[in-house]
Amino acid sequence: MTTLRVPNGGRVRHDEPVAFTFDGKSYTGLRGDTLASALLANGVHLMGRSFKYHRPRGPVTAGSEEPNALVGTSRGKGRSEPNTRATMQELRHGLVAESQNRSPSLKFDFGAVNDRLHPVFSAGFYYKTFMWPKSFWDRVYEPVIRAAAGLGTAPKEEDPDTYANRYAHVDVLVVGAGPTGIAAALTAAKAGAGVVLVDENAEIGGALLSDPSVAIEGEPAWTWLAGRIGELAALGVTVMTRTTAIGYYHQNMVALAERLTDHLDEIPQGAPRERMWQVRAGQVVLAQGALEKPLVFNGNDRPGIMLAGAAQTYLNRYGVRIGERAAIVTSHDSAWYTAFNLADSGTAIAAIVDTRSHPNAELLGEARRRQIRVLVGHTVVATSGRLRVKSITVAPMTNGRVGKSQTIACDCVAACGGWTPSLHLFSHTKGTLRWDEASAAFFPDRKSEACEIAGAGRGLWGYAPVLADGVAAGTAAASSFGQEARAVAPGVKGDRPGTGANHAVLATSVKPGRVRAFVDFQNDVTAKDIRLAVSEGMKSIEHVKRYTTNGMATDQGKLSNINGLMIAAETLGKAPPEVGLTTFRPPYTPTTFATFAGYHRGTHFEVTRKTPIDGWADEQSAVFEPVGQWRRARYYPKAGEDMDAAVERECRATRQSVGIFDATTLGKIEVAGPDAAEFMNRVYTNPWTKLGVGKARYGVLLGEDGFIRDDGVVGRVSETLFHVTTTTGGAARVLTMMEDYRQTEWPDLKVWLTSTTEQWAVVALNGPNARKVLEPLTEGLDLSNEAFPMMSLADCRVAGFRARLFRLSFTGELGYEVNVPARHGLALWKALMEAGEPYDICPYGTETMHVLRAEKGFIIVGQDTDGTVTPDDAGLGWAVGKKKTDFVGMRSLKRPDLAATGRKQLVGLQPEDGSLLLEEGAQIVADPDKPVPMRMLGHVTSSYRSAALGRSIAMALVADGRQMMGKTVYIPMPDGTHKATITSANAYDPDGERAKM
Amino acid sequence: MTFHAQKRPVAAAGAVTIEDLAPEARFSLRGDPADAGILGRTLGVDLPTAIGTRNEKDGRTALCLGPDEWVVLAGEAERDAILDAFAAIEADTPHALCDIGDREVSVRIVGPDAAALLAMGCPRDLSHLAPGRAVRTVFDGVSIVLWREAEEVYRLDAWRSSAPYVRELLETGVVELRAGL
Repeated sequence: MTTLRVPNGGRVRHDEPVAFTFDGKSYTGLRGDTLASALLANGVHLMGRSFKYHRPRGPVTAGSEEPNALVGTSRGKGRSEPNTRATMQELRHGLVAESQNRSPSLKFDFGAVNDRLHPVFSAGFYYKTFMWPKSFWDRVYEPVIRAAAGLGTAPKEEDPDTYANRYAHVDVLVVGAGPTGIAAALTAAKAGAGVVLVDENAEIGGALLSDPSVAIEGEPAWTWLAGRIGELAALGVTVMTRTTAIGYYHQNMVALAERLTDHLDEIPQGAPRERMWQVRAGQVVLAQGALEKPLVFNGNDRPGIMLAGAAQTYLNRYGVRIGERAAIVTSHDSAWYTAFNLADSGTAIAAIVDTRSHPNAELLGEARRRQIRVLVGHTVVATSGRLRVKSITVAPMTNGRVGKSQTIACDCVAACGGWTPSLHLFSHTKGTLRWDEASAAFFPDRKSEACEIAGAGRGLWGYAPVLADGVAAGTAAASSFGQEARAVAPGVKGDRPGTGANHAVLATSVKPGRVRAFVDFQNDVTAKDIRLAVSEGMKSIEHVKRYTTNGMATDQGKLSNINGLMIAAETLGKAPPEVGLTTFRPPYTPTTFATFAGYHRGTHFEVTRKTPIDGWADEQSAVFEPVGQWRRARYYPKAGEDMDAAVERECRATRQSVGIFDATTLGKIEVAGPDAAEFMNRVYTNPWTKLGVGKARYGVLLGEDGFIRDDGVVGRVSETLFHVTTTTGGAARVLTMMEDYRQTEWPDLKVWLTSTTEQWAVVALNGPNARKVLEPLTEGLDLSNEAFPMMSLADCRVAGFRARLFRLSFTGELGYEVNVPARHGLALWKALMEAGEPYDICPYGTETMHVLRAEKGFIIVGQDTDGTVTPDDAGLGWAVGKKKTDFVGMRSLKRPDLAATGRKQLVGLQPEDGSLLLEEGAQIVADPDKPVPMRMLGHVTSSYRSAALGRSIAMALVADGRQMMGKTVYIPMPDGTHKATITSANAYDPDGERAKM
Repeated sequence: MTFHAQKRPVAAAGAVTIEDLAPEARFSLRGDPADAGILGRTLGVDLPTAIGTRNEKDGRTALCLGPDEWVVLAGEAERDAILDAFAAIEADTPHALCDIGDREVSVRIVGPDAAALLAMGCPRDLSHLAPGRAVRTVFDGVSIVLWREAEEVYRLDAWRSSAPYVRELLETGVVELRAGL
């Protein structure tokens, strides 16, 4: 162990070494370390290269807001992650970490040439530089920028881990388990509330983990903390560590991302890596604390320069001194305690440099007692050191002028520019903020959700005030349930109160052109960039942000937003709130895609509905296609067949003998009740009153706008019961629409609707031999053409099963659809296959179904219609009841525009070259030689090769198409312009004799 | 917002089992709420009128899912008898009795972790679902009817084609719960 590790210091387990590698080199840390603390204990500050200038960087923070120490981590095949924050990744045995954005090595990086060119890469560089020549954008600029963009390497292999999701409901959710959050949780729980307390860290305690010297209720901080952990458990509070509240949504829905295995040496079998919790809370207490603000000074980004609070955390929580000789630069009291703690642990303090002329006398006394050199009223002029800071140069400020400078040697710098309340989650709720001039920070103002904001998160400072505020927040949360909390704020001894001054940028005497004062470390934005943006006309912080990329990195400007705003405001000569604050958005910290996806990947990506016959089709090597949520067999290829060959064979077999088709997915609705016929009259365009029992009719359903929404065959089972079929994809929509009208428009009708889509399995038989296959299996029904003609239905038994049999045809052939209870679907299919064997029965899929119906000119809603097609446009004017007084969409059909000539009408298209397959979606023109742009007459909606007709066929929507029969039109396609003749879409057996056999 | 003490999410590693239920006679009964009395007498079970409540008698169960909607369960052998009984009153008491015995399949989820397992896909607060009650809700985006049959016993009805999807997550969830994280 190096001398930087404080013997028995911190909360790490000194008896449990943990081996890991960084850039291929082996190191040892301790259980309880983060990757960052372990590397710092080994004297390693250099952990990465900055994004734009490839400047050497070390950790600035000890928490989730870290902008610099982003590394790639991995634990075997597929388990790699870019941009892991070294400050959050807990050490585990065998952790493999690699630095990013460097080549060939972290210490020597070719990309650092960008840094030399920094005067070129100013704000707006991309906007200015890559504007011309215009043709360079696609070929040169974009590919080069893309190659340089992005930090880290995205994993290429499939992630073998699983990710989980959980919903939860709780009375009080407390976000942040520092002293404020703990006090709030205890108070609410004591009042009887169910409480969940979450914290993104591995253990709770927040700032107390870094401040062990404070005494609360007469106990040292860590003793008090241990006692509270026990008390929380005893009260039944659920404490969730390694859990980040990433988003705060409407009605107190908070999303929590819980990291389950990244810290473990071994992953338990079946354990998910991360889990998304969707928590609905009665009350939320936001106790997120405050984030330390960096000081913006020339050379403030060298490895070894970090936030004072981070230095204190590394020292007190992890037992790691960040160096042997530290310089402290601050404008706030809090960094003085860091100096004292470091000094007391054996790190020499080169100086405390305070920007203020008159810091707190008590602090000055403490420094004097430790014989620490103090420079007040000073600024930082420059720093030195390439891969590690070597010195800082400071100078006194007198009346706004930089005085004579002196250089102070050091190997680390702890800097503090004050503290910013963390209001990210509060911002997600659209709660309003108010600017507090004294602390140069936004504070929460008006709330829009049932939440309390407590502690440092609303600008309080010191343990006594935040503990009292936590108690108050817990009391308020409990009282919203009518419960009375009786808690007293804990007493604090040795508190660390503090105040500070605020600076946009520390003054320097260095020539402006040579100053590199960083505001956004992750995106390499300097104070100069922000000033430039303002001088080039950006007056709102939103514009400054986009022009400079300040705050646009994955840390969402946690460190840079306020400093950027201060600089912009100062340059504009305006108050910061007039310049604005950019909106924080979820997630609070970067969250893996997989955590959002949860269980929805691979086979579980989305609901895939399968019919009872699906397994059989799968065994037959059917090729499937998704239709809505269903997967349907598209075609059944035999060995060596492609789709065209299989479909041609299936079409031929069906037309010549008999084909069998799984139609289970068709939507089915039972419309029942004495007013069923009246309801049908009002919903469908067709008349239903006179439809006899046992008869079926093709129905068309419109929207209020008069356009076709759905269609299907409807059978009348009894005077009071209709069996309605819908399209596969439209089933749920149609039922919802019907329910809507039933409940809101016609509550007087005695009619009820029930979805029976899944009650029935449906097998369609089509072809001249369909009856011969079905007859021997049918009981209780005469299937002869006379007894059971086209468009009939009856309840009977088929293959021994209770069945509802339809005679209808969507192919133009003699056709039946057999409905049986779904559990018997497969048995029915197999029975029909067996009975059909003598007739070479051929299973066919949706593709063949599409071809067969297109040969007849039958539409498919959504393919031949697009939501702008009326029944008349589709050639279905006959399906509209002429004597009906009303139906959904009737009024719209009378609007002049829908009755006007020139509307696109559905027709057939016969390409001159019968071997040519027109492209579905191709546009149609009258004369291709007209100048472009020319008028489009319409477009191709369906196009297939027809085995029955021996040529290709197509359907199209063409303006006034029915008046253009026999006329020639042209279809420009990528391979040339093709000629076609407008025909009837009903090309096969136009008189429909075959279906009536 | 009700105040219920000690309610919190738990990721415990207790036992939970999933059991497929045998088919049974199952109907969707719709009718005028004012006719609930006669419809209940026809079924032989008083129709509950508060949504989410159920009544049971002689092996027949009626669950109220909406102001005019009930789910009826009975032994498979009673299907035709129930259809006949309702057909006999249809002329005087209009209603719809639709056989949904094949539309849905059901599983029973039993064990101390049953609620945690369901919380992987069901956004409802199951602590509000008192034993003996049932609700129409969603699980992992799929519409279901969830019955709480006893403190640690749930029954989940899903449409046949989505049941395998529901089952897949339940099984994933059992593995997850066993891992104990």
